[in-house]
Amino acid sequence: MTYLDWASTSPPDSGILAEAARVAADSFGNPSSRHALGTAARDRLEEARSRLAAAIFGPGVDGPSATAGASRAPGRLAFTSGGTEADSIPLLALLRAALNARRDGSIKRLHLVASEIEHAAVYEEALLLKSLGIGVSFVAPEADGRVDPGKIGAAVEKDSALVAVMAVNNETGAVQPVAEIAQAIARAASAFGRAPPRLHVDAVQALGKIGFDSRAAGAGSAAFSAHKLRGPRGTGALWVAGEAGGASGLEPLALGGGQEGALRPGTESLQGAWAFAAAAAAARDNFAQRAALARNLEERLLVGLSSIPGALALPLGRQARDERYSPYILSVAFPGLAGEVLARSLSDSGIAVSTGSACSSNSKRAGRRILRAMGLPDDLAGSAIRVSTGDGSTEADIDAFLEAAAEAYRRLKT
Amino acid sequence: MEAFYLIKIGEILLKLGNRKEFEDRLRSQLHRRFGAAGIAHKIEMFPGRYFVTVPEESAEDADFLLSRTPGVNGYARAIKTGKSVDSVLAAAVEVARGRIASGKKSFKAESRRSDKSFPLGSFELSARIGDAVLEAFPESRVDLHHPDFTINAEIRERAYVFADPEPGLRGLPAGSGGKGLLLLSGGIDSPVAGYMMARRGLALEALYFHAYPYTSKEAQEKVVSLAKVLATYAGGMALWTAPFTETQLKIKKDAREDLTTLMMRSAMMRAAQILAERIGANCIVTGDSLGQVSSQTAENLRLTQSLTDYPVLRPLVGVDKEDTVALAKRIGTFDISILPYEDCCVLFSPKHPMLKAKLERERRAYDDLALDPLILDSLEKAERLDVPFTLTR
Repeated sequence: MTYLDWASTSPPDSGILAEAARVAADSFGNPSSRHALGTAARDRLEEARSRLAAAIFGPGVDGPSATAGASRAPGRLAFTSGGTEADSIPLLALLRAALNARRDGSIKRLHLVASEIEHAAVYEEALLLKSLGIGVSFVAPEADGRVDPGKIGAAVEKDSALVAVMAVNNETGAVQPVAEIAQAIARAASAFGRAPPRLHVDAVQALGKIGFDSRAAGAGSAAFSAHKLRGPRGTGALWVAGEAGGASGLEPLALGGGQEGALRPGTESLQGAWAFAAAAAAARDNFAQRAALARNLEERLLVGLSSIPGALALPLGRQARDERYSPYILSVAFPGLAGEVLARSLSDSGIAVSTGSACSSNSKRAGRRILRAMGLPDDLAGSAIRVSTGDGSTEADIDAFLEAAAEAYRRLKT
Repeated sequence: MEAFYLIKIGEILLKLGNRKEFEDRLRSQLHRRFGAAGIAHKIEMFPGRYFVTVPEESAEDADFLLSRTPGVNGYARAIKTGKSVDSVLAAAVEVARGRIASGKKSFKAESRRSDKSFPLGSFELSARIGDAVLEAFPESRVDLHHPDFTINAEIRERAYVFADPEPGLRGLPAGSGGKGLLLLSGGIDSPVAGYMMARRGLALEALYFHAYPYTSKEAQEKVVSLAKVLATYAGGMALWTAPFTETQLKIKKDAREDLTTLMMRSAMMRAAQILAERIGANCIVTGDSLGQVSSQTAENLRLTQSLTDYPVLRPLVGVDKEDTVALAKRIGTFDISILPYEDCCVLFSPKHPMLKAKLERERRAYDDLALDPLILDSLEKAERLDVPFTLTR
């Protein structure tokens, strides 16, 4: 099967999985135990954490810690069960903050700003918070799939406690101007004479794919996932800026044994952590070379699509080698043919693509939320599929897709 | 232990010349269903009453089976006993024991006696049953107008005692009305139409038009699930899946846009006509409801009807949608029907569909499309799936 659905998941690196399984079996102690086995497991876990931090923030950076940190430490990095949990921790922490405020008798209005193109892991949580009484402002993207920092700034209110904007959109590949957004938030907050609210960045589609440094960009927290870059399912990470011990102001809703700097309680999965770190390190190796290859594939795809009559790369006018878009993700509309029908037909031809996010393509209603938010008409949005490449995609994959898509579109278009 | 059921039959009793045929059909239906469910069973037939004996552990399944068999008016767990007064009274106390244990208190007794040699008259027997139950359960009381339960004693070839039969489906045994070809989509209406006609004694085969890749495999699996539910009423059925994509694409290409839906419905009726002939059906069944969608106006039904000489039975034609939905929920098809998979009509959604076809003009438009070769090819490739009776609840 020609696999062009890397944005939903990637084939795991079996060497990495095997190595991680061995490490976890050798160091099977509970990292919280005081005996030698526990200490050994703790050491390996911290090793994985440093390695992951180096992959995320660059090898020159001091390794962050889950628990304590020197003043120069780049925050805390906590392993989670995946990107969705990493997103949910800062969002659901708002509930605890709201209830705390109520307990103090000073019922405080809390406010959240989120872009309309967030992944369901953020968007659905935001809808939940809204239904529970927290004020939520959604900010629509521009037609190019990017969020205007000025509009985010304008949405910040004096009670805003969190702003959520993703780093790379999972359907369009649009790279969001996170640094400018952080600045706009700071300006808006200073107008209210207060510190800026936390900026949470879902960086699941960015890690290992584009050069994105959540800390340098001025984010307050960021979510990562292992299985998008050939790591295992069930492992992700949450990075939180600032020092440990409450300075970050992030009090999670879930409690337990205080693991992972109390951000994510539960006995740690050394196997998952080790594999995630190894996969992220591998993705960082030869990063520039990989990115160049991805740009070549992107260009080949866009050039090929331009010779299929009627096919439209989204957002309209997207060109190859445009730094505003991840080279790994591209949505294409085939007007007159429902995206799910084309995806089904391509699957029969041995090519795996998806319609939008795999997490929402089962639901007719929610499926086209992101493209519609960009102002695309329903019939165009409904005719889109997402082609996503990864480490291991080849020109032959792109050519096979182009040939099969052209044939299916000609045959099935109505 | 064995569970003994008394089965009441209704409409069959009204049949004069061919009553035996109906009775044989119900018997063979029961036999086949118990057999398909793997339940050891013994069926006895006496005039006006059937009896089934199954192992005690199959009692729950037997309840389900009897509740879904058309031709069964009602059924009850019963005690059969000898025709002595003492044994009838003892059985009545046993029947009452179960009811009183479940919290019921007031009762009445009703007796029927077809064997006039029995020493007590009906009224007298009922009174004796009342006395016996009151004596055995002092907390009980007689209430002739609003009893919590009614003890029935019937003195026939043997004596039978039971309480409050469960209602059956009524209707006529499957197959007594011949075989109908049901046009089954994944929607709410057609399964209900199939259920209604199965209840009137039609054996069913169903035809589903699959427009892959426009419709998904999940949509096809959904139709199989619907057929499985219908099979519990029809006593098993066959499901034909005909690939219809090529026919639909030709319609889309060559038909005037406002006629596409109507032409597709006509083509489906033509396919049904051919398949009905092939399988020996004597009618076609659809879920049409007057005016519900554009293809279901009387004018448009006249056009689609013109493609077949079989009677097209449309049991929902005068049924309000909300009533259909309620019935779909009751028979267990609704939750399947509302699964979100596209049905075969997605290809066509003309903005302004033709509402009132002129028969001759639109029939000419249909004939000009010359779809027969594609329809025949589609039926050639159609796959038949045998959907047996199961205890699927």
